[in-house]
Amino acid sequence: MKHAARLLTLGFSLALGTAAAQSPVEVQLWTWYLSPKFDNYIKDTISAFEKANPGITVKWFDKQDSMVQDFLSSVNMGSAPDVVNLNIDETSKAAQNGFLRNVDALTPAATLKSTFYPQTLANFTIGGKVYAYPWYGSLNEGVLLYNPDLLSKAGVKPPRDMNELLNMVKTVKDKTGAYAWVPALKDPGGASFLGYFFSDGLPIYDASGKAAFNSPAHVALLQKYIDLFKAGYFPEDALRKEAFQLATELYPQNKVAMIVGGPQALNRIKDTNPSLYAKTVVTSAPLGKAKVQTGTSMGMVIPAASKHPAEAAKLAAFFTNNANQMAFAKIVPIVPTTAAAQNDPYFKKASSDPIAKATSLVGASGRYINPGFKAPGNSDDLYKNFSDNIEAALLGKKTAQAALNDSVAYWNANMKK
Amino acid sequence: MIRAPRSKSRFSLRDTLMSYGFLAPALILLTLFTFYPLAYGSYLGFTEYGGARFGQGLPPKWIGLENFRTLLADPLFLRSLVNSVKYLIVVPVLQLASLAVAVLVNKNLPGMAFFRAAYYVPVVTSISLAAVMWDWVYNKDGTLNWVLGAAHLLSRSSMFGWLNNEYSAFWAVMLVTFWRGFGYYMVLYLAGLQGIPQELEEAAVLDGASSWKRFWSITVPMMKPTILLCSLLSTIAALRVLEEVLVLTNGGPLNSTYTALMYVYSKAFQGFNFDYGLASAAGLVVAAVALLLSAVNFRLFRDSSGDSV
Repeated sequence: MKHAARLLTLGFSLALGTAAAQSPVEVQLWTWYLSPKFDNYIKDTISAFEKANPGITVKWFDKQDSMVQDFLSSVNMGSAPDVVNLNIDETSKAAQNGFLRNVDALTPAATLKSTFYPQTLANFTIGGKVYAYPWYGSLNEGVLLYNPDLLSKAGVKPPRDMNELLNMVKTVKDKTGAYAWVPALKDPGGASFLGYFFSDGLPIYDASGKAAFNSPAHVALLQKYIDLFKAGYFPEDALRKEAFQLATELYPQNKVAMIVGGPQALNRIKDTNPSLYAKTVVTSAPLGKAKVQTGTSMGMVIPAASKHPAEAAKLAAFFTNNANQMAFAKIVPIVPTTAAAQNDPYFKKASSDPIAKATSLVGASGRYINPGFKAPGNSDDLYKNFSDNIEAALLGKKTAQAALNDSVAYWNANMKK
Repeated sequence: MIRAPRSKSRFSLRDTLMSYGFLAPALILLTLFTFYPLAYGSYLGFTEYGGARFGQGLPPKWIGLENFRTLLADPLFLRSLVNSVKYLIVVPVLQLASLAVAVLVNKNLPGMAFFRAAYYVPVVTSISLAAVMWDWVYNKDGTLNWVLGAAHLLSRSSMFGWLNNEYSAFWAVMLVTFWRGFGYYMVLYLAGLQGIPQELEEAAVLDGASSWKRFWSITVPMMKPTILLCSLLSTIAALRVLEEVLVLTNGGPLNSTYTALMYVYSKAFQGFNFDYGLASAAGLVVAAVALLLSAVNFRLFRDSSGDSV
């Protein structure tokens, strides 16, 4: 009788197992601005994942400017995606508003710690929980690209730190007519100038978590930029366009001598002015007084409304593992966020091609990816207020001190914890 | 006087059912996509909804007039509302210009088909393409400064980026709105002009009326319904300006081009800190202004007999 019962149980188990194998789980993956350029990479990675996980199929969508709205609508309609590609800031906002599952509940914390750099995990840690599998990153001060003809005409050498760069801005413009560099003065979606404070070792928050970016040192740094802007040493459009967009527009026209940023700027220069691209020299980026890099990375998050979180976690972990991040780094100069990437021989190859050189300079620097400050609660309103104040100071409507005081007061009154 | 015998019912049940059957698809679509969103959006304006509340699946919470109090205390909203109302300056200019050009291209002269099409091209040009083009025009080294410089109206040292200056950006963006809307209203006016009976014009010519007299005594009165329609449409469009502001200035510099709809959009759809309740309340305020201005339009274009056109 016991034997018969065991056989019956085994039969049921096998039948259930077969049924489960016959109904594969479909996982919906959303990437951000990756199609059509990286279709092959994404499709190949999905195929490899499906081959390694026969019970799971992946339905991929690439979202572009409507990513956040689509995400909100899908949650509202009960058809939330399972894995979504968000950056650090958006992950932080989504987690603060209860949209995401903490991934350290889906993948053991020890596995996450052994796979990724501690800082990249910290970037996605909100309230002590990890909310994303860190994916590809970029460094704001990854490399310095420069037009050697313009620098030689100005009689200056490539700057070694931010102080040197700011000091040569006048000389380059006066002697060549080209802007030396386009600083990130105003970012419509963020508060990029805070990055300059962090780079100079100036705090954004005090020990109690309150905004504290209005000390005399903060004011003095902002004043340097204001003086240069008012005297016409930075393009007027820097208040209206993102620095990266403007710099990559002006550099190929010989209107900007240097770009501080990631190697991705080189792709655009290669397309628009191949001869200048060939001449472009790539070297280490100038850093602020704190000698730290800033940067950002993408992550893969699991929405709280996902119906298949376990399978989603498998897919996100697969996409962000070292092998797949390295495969991505070989087709576009991203900075992998996996700790193993720092030892990859690919980043140690010597080359005279600017993109290859930039890739080898920054590719293994994932440990430095750090936005420099955590997005505050209610960040959209706070960033807008900060940017408005910086703009008012640059346009002479407020003094640097008043602009920073006003912004700090607004932040402390409106920051949601 | 012989009266016709009155039938018990003017329409049979079959006719009634058939009428409603024909109306049903449109009514269902209107209910789904217009009346329901309108009612739900209005309701949301009196609730706290969005952010963490939405993320955690909690329903809207009724808070009465709190959102409206928040709006009144927000200098950015007040600034955006003032900008939107100021934006209405484009309406009469746009209407007069498109009516005048419609009258000109309505003539059967050689080459008129080309002009009609040419004026319509901006209407079908995508805003991203238009933004790149106008960026070249308004840039510090752009076409506008070059033309003004060549005409000795602006010296090299006083040139500036028209979209980077808080005093010029608003008008520069408004010109793009004018450029984009002009062809659309011109085509509507052209359709209206072609509906005016030819014999009226001919009779006036026989009576010796000048072309100016014919325009004011025949064309304008006959065009009143079209003028009202175009005026209403462009008033509402001016209050709803968003795309050109977003792509050209993103509301700057110093929020000088920040419009009410941009406020609604940023609160509802930008980032994860969206606030549907506050955005809906702001939308209701904009709708109230639009209704008020529509009433003004009806009043202005009421004809001499006192009936609205």
